[in-house]
Order: sequence, then C-alpha cells, then structure tokens
Amino acid sequence: MSKVPLIIAREYLARTKKKSFIITTILMPILMALLVILPVYISYKSEREVTIFVYDESDSYLNKFQNTDKMKFVYPSGDLALLQKQCIDGQCDVVLQILGGSQSNLGNLYFYHEPPISLQGNIEEQMDHIIFDKTLIDTFHIDLRKYNTIKQHSKSSLVSLQIDENGKAELSTMQLNRVVGIICGFLIYFFVYLYANQVLQSTMEEKTNRIAEIIISSVKPIQFMMGKIIGIALVGITQFLIQIVAVVLILFAVQMVTPAFFSENTLSQSELIATSPEMALADSGDAIFQNGDLMNSISAYYSFPFSTIIICFFFYFLFGYLMYAALFAGVGSATDTETDSQQLILPISIPLLLSLIVVLSTTNMQSEWVRWLSIIPFTSPVAMMFRLPSGVPVWELTVSMVLLLVFWILSLWFSAKVYRTGILMYGKKTTWKELWKWFKTN
Amino acid sequence: MNIVEVQHVTKNFSNHIALKDLSLTIPRGSIFGLLGPNGAGKTTLIRMLNQITVPDSGVILYQGRPLQREDIETVGYLPEERGLYKKMKISDQVIYLARLKGLPMDVATKRLQFWFKKFGIESWWNRKVTDLSKGMQQKIQFIVTIVHQPNLLIFDEPFSGFDPINAELLKNEIIELRNNGATIVLSTHNMNSVEEICDQIVLLNNGEKVLEGNLNEIKKQFRTHCYEIKVANALDVPFPDTFHVLSQYSENQDVIYKIKMDPSENPNQLLAWFVSKTSIIDYHEVIPSMNDIFIETITAQNVNRK
Repeated sequence: MSKVPLIIAREYLARTKKKSFIITTILMPILMALLVILPVYISYKSEREVTIFVYDESDSYLNKFQNTDKMKFVYPSGDLALLQKQCIDGQCDVVLQILGGSQSNLGNLYFYHEPPISLQGNIEEQMDHIIFDKTLIDTFHIDLRKYNTIKQHSKSSLVSLQIDENGKAELSTMQLNRVVGIICGFLIYFFVYLYANQVLQSTMEEKTNRIAEIIISSVKPIQFMMGKIIGIALVGITQFLIQIVAVVLILFAVQMVTPAFFSENTLSQSELIATSPEMALADSGDAIFQNGDLMNSISAYYSFPFSTIIICFFFYFLFGYLMYAALFAGVGSATDTETDSQQLILPISIPLLLSLIVVLSTTNMQSEWVRWLSIIPFTSPVAMMFRLPSGVPVWELTVSMVLLLVFWILSLWFSAKVYRTGILMYGKKTTWKELWKWFKTN
Repeated sequence: MNIVEVQHVTKNFSNHIALKDLSLTIPRGSIFGLLGPNGAGKTTLIRMLNQITVPDSGVILYQGRPLQREDIETVGYLPEERGLYKKMKISDQVIYLARLKGLPMDVATKRLQFWFKKFGIESWWNRKVTDLSKGMQQKIQFIVTIVHQPNLLIFDEPFSGFDPINAELLKNEIIELRNNGATIVLSTHNMNSVEEICDQIVLLNNGEKVLEGNLNEIKKQFRTHCYEIKVANALDVPFPDTFHVLSQYSENQDVIYKIKMDPSENPNQLLAWFVSKTSIIDYHEVIPSMNDIFIETITAQNVNRK
C-alpha cells in the first residue's frame, strides 16, 4: 500500500485538529466582516437628527432651507447671544449665523457639542442652491420653473454596450469585471502564498528537528514531499470552504439583526460595484429601445460568467499553489535558518508579487502586459484571474493552463531532486548554485 | 549466513569521497560494531542500508539479493540526531511512524501498548514530546525503531543521552533483540559498549575498511603477550631471560609485575616459575582494549598516509 495517504492524513489532521486552526478559520472572516461593516454601521448609527437654529442677518433664507432626516432647520427670534445660550442649554445643536448685506453667502456655525462632520458641507450645499435660485430671479429675472424644465431636458446619459461578432450588443459589465478580477487575483495571491509558506515552514521544521531522516528511512523523499503538499492543500480547501460558509452565515445574521441598515447598505454597495445598469436602463430606456434589444441586454447582464470564474479560480488556486509549494518545499529542505530560506524564497516569490502589483495598478485589463503575465506560469494564477471576468480567448486560457501544468511538473521534479539531498544537509549556507549542483547529481 | 553483503561500494559527494570500494559482510544474528573516526563514512553506509542514499557503484545484498524498496519495512533505524514531532501526541506519533513502516493500525497500537508497559511509561500515552526529558525522548525513539520488529536494526550512537541505569536497560534490550533473531548494527564511539556487546566489528577510516572480523579474534591479533601477576612479596632473585619485566609496583603489601613474554613461549612457564618462588594472588593476560586498538590502528594509518 502506498504510504502517501498516511502522510496526507497526518499533515491534514495535525493542522485541522489544532485549536488555533478552528479559531483562525472562524475568526478571520468575522474580523474581516467586522472591519468592513463596523465603520459603516457606526457612522450610520451616530448620524442623528441635528436641530439648526438659523440666525439670518440677510433675510434671504427664511424658510428656504429644506429639512431632511438629518437636519431640522428652525427660525427662532432673538439675538445671536440668546440663541447661543439656548444652544448650550441643549435646545438646538448648532446655531447658523448668516451675515447680512452683500455677504449673505458667508456665515458661522456655532456649536457646544461637535456636530457630525458632514453637517457643514450639507448646509453649504443648501445655501449654494438658495443663493443660485435667488440670483436667477433677482438679478437675471429668469422664471425658476422654466429653468428647471430646461435643466431636466438637457441631462445626458450613456450606456456602455459591448458588441460581439454577430453584431449583438450586450450591456458591458466593465466595472463589475474589474472588481471581481481584483478580488479573485488578490485571493489567489493570498492563499497561494499563505499555504506555500506553510509547506516551507513545516519542511524546515522537520529538517531541523530531524524527524525527516526517520521518515525518509520509511518512505521516498518525493512521497514525503507530496504528502505534505497535498495535506496542506486540503487544509487550505477546508479552511476556504469553512470561511465561505461562515461569511454567508454572518451576512445572514447581520441581515436578520438589522434589516433596515443592511438593505440600505447593500443598496449603496451594489451602486458602487456595478453603477447599477438597471438604473442606467431606467434612465435611458429610450436609447436602448432604439437598438431593439432591451430584453437581451438585461439577460446579458445576468449571464456574467460566474461558473467559468469559479472553475478557473479553483484550477489556478490549486495548480498555482502546487507549483509554488513544490518550489517552497525544495527551498525549505535546503536551509536550516529563516534568514537563509527568505533569501532563497525572494526570487521565487517576486513574480507572484509582481503580478499582484500589476493587477492592483493597471486599469486596462486587456493590455499586452496583463496578457503576457496571464500566460507565464509564475504570474498566470493571479494575472489570469484578473483578466478572466472581462473575457479571455479560449486558446489563451488553454495555453496558460497547460503551461501551468507543465511548470508544476517541472518544479516538482526539480524540488524532488533538491529535496533528497537538501533534507540531510546541515550547517551549510545554501545558495542557488548549490541547489543546482544537487539537482544535477544523479 | 550474512544478512548484509556490501560489495565494492563507492560513494562520492561533490567535494569528497565518502566510501571507497568498500566491501564488508554483516553476519545474521550478530551485534555488529560499525566503528571509525568522524567522517570515516559510517553515516553514509548507514543511509545506504536505509535506502536514503544509493551507491555510485557497487551493490548491497540484503538477505542474499540486491536491496529492494520493500526491504525498508524490515529495517529499523535510530539516527544519531534524534527527531520527533514536538507537538504531536506520543502515541499518535509512534503509531504513525510504525504505519509508515507498514504495520497496520491495530497491530501498531497493540505493540506500542506492550512496549509502554514494558518500560513502565503508560502515563506518557497522551503526552507530547515537549513534555518529556531528553532521556525519555530517547526511550520513545528506541520504541519507534523497534516497534515493527525489523530483521536489521541500525543504532547510531544509541547510548548518548542515557543515564547509566537506562543505558544498561537499553543494552539488555539490544542483546535480547539479538537473541530473538535480529541483527544489530551498532555505530558508536563508546568503545566500552562495543567490548561489552559486539560480536563482530568493522573499523572504517576515510571511507575504507581498515579492520574487520570477530571481536575476540581481533583482540587476539592485537595481543602483546603481556601478563600481569600479583604476588605476596617482592622477589630479589633474577628473572629468566624469556621474561621481560615492563614494570613493577606495590599495592599495599602485594607486588604487581607486568611481564612481556616472547610470543613463542608458553605462559604456563611464567606461572610455574612464580609458583616456585612465592604465592600468587592474581594472574591475567593484558589484552588491549578496543579503545587502544582503535587509536593504534587509526593513528598508524593516518601516519602512513602522510
């Protein structure tokens, strides 16, 4: 019987049985979710209604301010000192003093307790409108209703449509593509590096505490190495699945607890992500109707290639990890100290980091740069996942995948040879030259 | 019959030759001392027996045929540098290592229970290696080595780290394993233990064999025909010409003579002569210790090389 399953089982259980595994696995998504949700939630909760006493020396603003759910304007009588006193007594939160005469666009805000930070901007915005309308009427004698009609009619709106070879137009999901691409690319980088690094650490540990020699007197070094790599891969997949479930549960729980807050929040988020094509449609339905393709366009938006992305994500995660893990295991076997291993790891991990930097900084997902990076095996896991949502020709995807597979086998072969020699070498500082020599010997 | 036959084995590393055309045999059922100074090639040979490395040229026969992958399950190895997973439960760890050597789970568990009971360490079952002292870890490591009942056992410096009581315990275990049919290769610098338990030895230096054979025969080869005789009083008569007195000293009232005889002479003459002169308290041949043989051989060889 092959002994690799035994090694896989040990590597897997040794990690998943630890209390710290359960804690970090469950806690990490919770912390991440809190990191996103909490600031939004706090700022939402802390924005109460602010009562504003208007002390208007110009007499242009009386009853012109519009009350919102966050601001309530009151126009009391009395001089500034009295209003300020009332502010201190808690009858209002802010006293707005507007200067008279030609300075009616200037003023002061007095408060005893600090108001929300957005208040000043919100009041200024309203003042701008009031002054604008007043100037239209008083100085240019323009009918306000006429002006508003003109303004509505001169509003423009564009819809992005992507056409294919058959001349069929589809609503473009450019924004969504980029966001999904960045998230996928980043996750691949994070997980490949995280788990490959675990392979490195664990190989070094086994080497330095000398258990390695006992194990390779029972199994072949390549079996030991593969067992470890596969075991940790399974840990990664387990952790990933648990976290997905945890995130879903957390979001569900949050929704149950604060439905109002959540629906409002998700709305603004979806606006952010997709600039909401539905809204664009509603605004400019005419434009699309002229194309005679409205229904088709809407369905195109919903046929975003999620299944392709998920399948490719697992492929690039798995084989990107397997390739890097093999190389990291080779390096781990060759070094006894952290500093040595970091020196050797650097040239290997730079391509991975480079692909992440390109992904985060580039705005053009179809550039030559990204295209080449998505084909070269060392950068393809991150770069291809970034490119994928915005469409990749099948042959490029195939070449990229095949190359990754080939390089995985090559790195495994290289590392297995280095590993066999390295795991028994002690006290010598290892260089790449040395590794090459080990690789070449039998 | 020999369990291991090493035939013309050579192994080169990038900057030195570890083994040079080495041939030796390990008789089945023996305790075989693998001796030599540091860097002589002992560890390289041991790693070949464990199939961790392979010879550049030459063959190693195991039980009469070339060493094969499956043979690994009938070999037990205690490396000089001990190693266990620090944070793994001891019982899980030993069972895991035994299963890697091909034992089924239930058999491994049963054997382990047996050994824990034998060593009186049942309470360690659920503990971790980090909780144990160095000597305790050595015991666990010993169990790991033997739990799959190998035919060939390789111990590299097994006594290091053991206190005298546990060293004695270990020595008796090794002898018992031999008596039960296992062959033991013992690599050590502790010459006392070699003299106590080894049947056969080989002495390596710079990758070459310099001495091989039965321990007693080797010692006979190195005999110097010196005798120590303890008598009741000093003699003031002249000694026969065939007796060369090397030293003479008193111990309390007794006197000890160290006398070298010509190899052709019968030691009985010595006894007969002394009996006629005085009363004998003690008499024995001065046999060179393994320590002396080691130092003498290696020094002579290193001088010759220069």
